[in-house]
Amino acid sequence: MILGMTSRKAVFVAVVLAIALVLPFTIDPRGYTIRILCLMLLFAAMGQAWNIVGGLANQMSLGHAAFFGIGAYTSTLLLIHFGISPWIGMIAAGIFGGVAAFVISLPTMRLRGHYFALATLAFGEVMRVIGNSWSSLTGGPVGVSVPFAKPSLAMFQFKDTLPYYFLMLAALIVVTIIFVAIQRSRIGYRLQAIKENVDAAEVIGVDTTRTKIFAAVVSGVLMGCLGTFYAQFQYFFDPDTVFGVASISVRVAMIAIVGGIGTAIGPILGAMFVIPMEELANQAFSAQAAGLAQLVFGALLIVVILVEPRGFVEFGRRMVRRFRKGASR
Amino acid sequence: MAIIQAILDGLMIGGVYAVISIGLTLVFGVMGIVNFAQAEFLMLGMFVAYYAWAWLGLDPLLAAPLAFAVVFVLGALVHQVMIRRVLKAPAVAQIFLTVGLLIVLENAALLMFGSSFRSVSTPYQTSALQLGSLFISVPYLLAFLMSVASGAALWLFMRTSWFGRAMRATAQDPMAARLLGINADAMHRLAFALGVALTAFGGAVILPYLTVSPTVGGQFVVLMFTVVVLGGLGSVAGAVVGGLSVGVIQSLSALAFPIQLQNLVLFVVFIGVLALRPEGLLGGSR
Repeated sequence: MILGMTSRKAVFVAVVLAIALVLPFTIDPRGYTIRILCLMLLFAAMGQAWNIVGGLANQMSLGHAAFFGIGAYTSTLLLIHFGISPWIGMIAAGIFGGVAAFVISLPTMRLRGHYFALATLAFGEVMRVIGNSWSSLTGGPVGVSVPFAKPSLAMFQFKDTLPYYFLMLAALIVVTIIFVAIQRSRIGYRLQAIKENVDAAEVIGVDTTRTKIFAAVVSGVLMGCLGTFYAQFQYFFDPDTVFGVASISVRVAMIAIVGGIGTAIGPILGAMFVIPMEELANQAFSAQAAGLAQLVFGALLIVVILVEPRGFVEFGRRMVRRFRKGASR
Repeated sequence: MAIIQAILDGLMIGGVYAVISIGLTLVFGVMGIVNFAQAEFLMLGMFVAYYAWAWLGLDPLLAAPLAFAVVFVLGALVHQVMIRRVLKAPAVAQIFLTVGLLIVLENAALLMFGSSFRSVSTPYQTSALQLGSLFISVPYLLAFLMSVASGAALWLFMRTSWFGRAMRATAQDPMAARLLGINADAMHRLAFALGVALTAFGGAVILPYLTVSPTVGGQFVVLMFTVVVLGGLGSVAGAVVGGLSVGVIQSLSALAFPIQLQNLVLFVVFIGVLALRPEGLLGGSR
């Protein structure tokens, strides 16, 4: 056992990490491919943050864009108006993201299934409306640009894409470690009890509301911090992008679901599939018709739900089982 | 006076909200599925009416039955291919299937119809009736009357026809309904098709005073869910009360707040109802 992993798992994680560390040196450090890899890592981290609420607590949030957008705006506005380093801005972003998650959790945490999804969807939409209409603060629908600074780690700006890659990788690792830590903690078991049967969990003395709020706040803090990463990486964003239902809320949930909801590897597999697939669809179709790439995205979501709603992880397990059965025959 | 005028306008548009939301609540009441893509069927209804006007010169109000028929068939197909398969699945599958459907419909519309905003012109578009110092906009009034008519027709259908009764029986207890020889699967298909078609009908009757584009559904998502949650998810009578209340809330809030913040007011109402009375204002009466 190494860090609570079986040795086989530990070897697997080490190999994947080694590949992730070497891979960027084999491609153009300012090219297009590495940008896609960065987005892939970032969205994997976001899917993992969603997974804390959606996967562990089984609360289907459709409003995670709210915390993400709050984070992106917080650090960027602090940088624009007060010249505060995005790293400090990120702490503020995390705090605001967590506070927003706490505030929306109070009235919604007792809601189940569809009702929770509806409430969070509405919350994300309202943040988008506020982002668009409070122009004096956010700049309104035209969006904001991150001011250029001398490239340095302290200002979270770099000439090459390579440093971003390693920062995104670090972010993904941190979020994944937090996910696994929660999953294995006492709170993780409480969350699992809630997931299996809320009423039974209540009866055996789990404070379900408090446990769910804890998960939501951790998830909100992480989403807020990742919003800062996104802002510093893209340099420009507008309310419809960072608060978008399809662009963020549904996409992060989909990444976790496609890979395997509630598993640590799920969002990583999901992002490795969804983000490059979207880029390919964009490249192939966007010249001909707007909307086709999005259409593919939606169709894919439908297909995954109909074929295996538990995602690649379960699909893979099924394949392995079938293979073993075939071999033993 | 401005307040009475606003309440009157609110009731008029609220009547339409009631009808488009009855579709949503019907689907939930019979099948237990929250259709996140419901507003996209409203958009399709608007487009059917728009093309009926552009190509055939048909008034949107007359095209409303056509929108109903087209979307009814589409709804039956969607149920057959997708919805049927997740009826017993966990909430996550149901939610994300209809979210996927939302994305597909919106972008398919974008591909087929383009992103431009379209509107129809009718002879009564700008006319209004005067009642003392109050004005009733004719397109509002006509849309309201059409909604009342379709709501009444649905009520009669659910009360008196064999299908209506069978559908309500299925909603109450699918197992018992099956034992009595009711094809529950067919009833679900009928409920889904009827639900989305009714919403499309509502889309057609509001076309005289609104513009249509593939993204118009987005404006109605929070609104429709506020209506049904206000009235109690699954309750048809609740949707009527909810629709009228939301219409009045919206037009009263327009007096006090800038137009962009109207959705914010709705949201506060929405969260408030969810937190305090998740079973709706009328209570658990399904």
